[in-house]
Amino acid sequence: MSRIQLENVTKKFGKVTALDGISLDIRDKEFFVLFGPAGAGKTTILNCIAGIQIPEEGVVKFDGEVMNLTDAAHRDTAMVFENYALYPQMTVYDNMASPLRSPLYKKDEAYIKEKIQEVAEMMKMDYLLQRLPSQLSNGQKQRVAMGRALVRSPRVYLMDEPLAHLDAKLRNSMRTELKEIQANFGTTSVYVTHDFMEAMSLGDRIAIVNEGKIVQIGTGDEIYYMPCNEFVSQLMGDPEINLIAGTLKKEGDSYSFIMDAGEKVYHLPTDYELFEKLDDLGCEKVDIGMRPQNLNYSFEAHEGYLKCTVYSYESIGNKSVIVAELNGLQLRMIAPNGLTVKIDQDIYVDMELNYAMFFDAESKEYLTRYNEAAVLALTEQEG
Amino acid sequence: MESKKRLGRVVQNLLLVIYTIFALFPLLWMLILTIKPDAQMYTTTFVFSPTLDNYKAVIFQSDYLKYMLDSLIVAGGAVIVSVVAGVPAAYALARYNFKKKEDIAFQILSFKFAPEILVVLPLFMLFQKLGIYDSYFGLIWVYQLICMPLLIWVVRGYFEDISVEIEHAAQVDGYTWYQIFFKMLVPLIKPGLVSAALLAFIFAWNSFTFPLILAGTNVQPITVAITKFLGTDSAHYGQLAVAATVSALPAIIFALCIQKHLVRGLSFGAVKG
Repeated sequence: MSRIQLENVTKKFGKVTALDGISLDIRDKEFFVLFGPAGAGKTTILNCIAGIQIPEEGVVKFDGEVMNLTDAAHRDTAMVFENYALYPQMTVYDNMASPLRSPLYKKDEAYIKEKIQEVAEMMKMDYLLQRLPSQLSNGQKQRVAMGRALVRSPRVYLMDEPLAHLDAKLRNSMRTELKEIQANFGTTSVYVTHDFMEAMSLGDRIAIVNEGKIVQIGTGDEIYYMPCNEFVSQLMGDPEINLIAGTLKKEGDSYSFIMDAGEKVYHLPTDYELFEKLDDLGCEKVDIGMRPQNLNYSFEAHEGYLKCTVYSYESIGNKSVIVAELNGLQLRMIAPNGLTVKIDQDIYVDMELNYAMFFDAESKEYLTRYNEAAVLALTEQEG
Repeated sequence: MESKKRLGRVVQNLLLVIYTIFALFPLLWMLILTIKPDAQMYTTTFVFSPTLDNYKAVIFQSDYLKYMLDSLIVAGGAVIVSVVAGVPAAYALARYNFKKKEDIAFQILSFKFAPEILVVLPLFMLFQKLGIYDSYFGLIWVYQLICMPLLIWVVRGYFEDISVEIEHAAQVDGYTWYQIFFKMLVPLIKPGLVSAALLAFIFAWNSFTFPLILAGTNVQPITVAITKFLGTDSAHYGQLAVAATVSALPAIIFALCIQKHLVRGLSFGAVKG
């Protein structure tokens, strides 16, 4: 139960800078998610918090107390490693008992037994306790690694993709379980994932990490609705957001948007706040971000619809994704299952532009979006 | 088709039998020599009157047991020193990055390449100057050339196979480095450590050139002492055979005792491949 702060943390491995001036303030009892692509430095952040790696610059604080000189054993953290790091010579039971038998966190055997039984039942693996790690599947190993962390009540849980190797059903139930455990124990948790669903559903707040830097910190909704740049907007959401390049043109009171692909002219729906902001920014070349659910399609020609061809149609379970193509620009949108769609057939696409986000075409930074005030109000309510 | 397969099997087994005879016959012949009286030593038939005189002469009427003890002290001491110094060295070579790491590792290995006879004369002069000629200490020291490279290279491989996260996990669990080393790492390197130590022991036990030149009166390992049974005028082949047979026993006994450790496979499966 601790507030974890990282101030300007820089970690280098030889000439490679893994972390570049990371600053984080993780609140007490918060479920904090680190989200980003592979190799972004998420695991290195965890290692710096755990004390496994010592940063070259910057300080790590627990409850305001500088921990840089405290070794990993004395930091009182519990960590789930991405490659499990189970002790191969010990049974599952002994693996889970290991932190409770160490000289620092010693508990009596009766307590250990009870605690392990409790955690094992929760993780649905009580029948595995006498096995050796070599006799487990990857998903089972991952649960043991989680169990080994959960038997303790540390100052902070550090979890490195703890659900990545579980099957879909177990992953969903464990996700719910994790959230509940965290709410019950009230232990600060730092959770690394590259799964957007996990990040959204688990995190009180999410930090987007890329190339050793924090790109954006915010609640799931904040980041989903107001991503700070195109990179973040592409990370959040599945299927990926559509980014459409074009030119803004002011015509009297209103604005129109000319798409680069196809040179179709759209008149932007009137929103004076937005227009004022666009006036201030004065950008011409912009990318418009459209979530796939805000694109509509039809197989017959309609007034104002954009004529494209079908690039692909694939089911993702309870719905399908149609990718339409126009002069190299691909548009992803959601469709029901079971449509008869032929590749390369004509498709007509309409954009609900009143959900659009605007990004600077050069810097790729977020400019503004429709209903910004409403989105801000929503996120503030959460925060 | 079926008969072809069978023929292949027969040939295979035949070759194996021939090899077995080839490999084991000298040993068998040695065992027979040990129970032959001197007079019948050169007969090549298997008809002779068995006797235990050779055993009596070697074990009770010579300093044989003292030579055995010398061998045990020197070879055992050399292995202990190798383990105590070699395991940390192997850990460092496996875990830490420092300048010229691979060069140092190769240098250690190259000690094994040099023919003993090449280095033994300069060593002899050094040992004379240092006053460790013909001492246990001197032999244990020089045996490091035989034992240490083998041990370091085998154990280093085992350390490299252990994922570093296991150590990290143990740190987070609240163990100190020494506890991690003895509780987590030593059990994992045990198969490699034990088999490398055994091999090192056998090599040290069998070493001939070093003790021949660098020792000889106070300290007489069995390999050198055996030559005493070759007299200037007569060769007591029976006694020689006994001496050789008995001296081979410790290594055989050790190997049988720790056979299960010679099978590797503990550290697999714990870490995602």
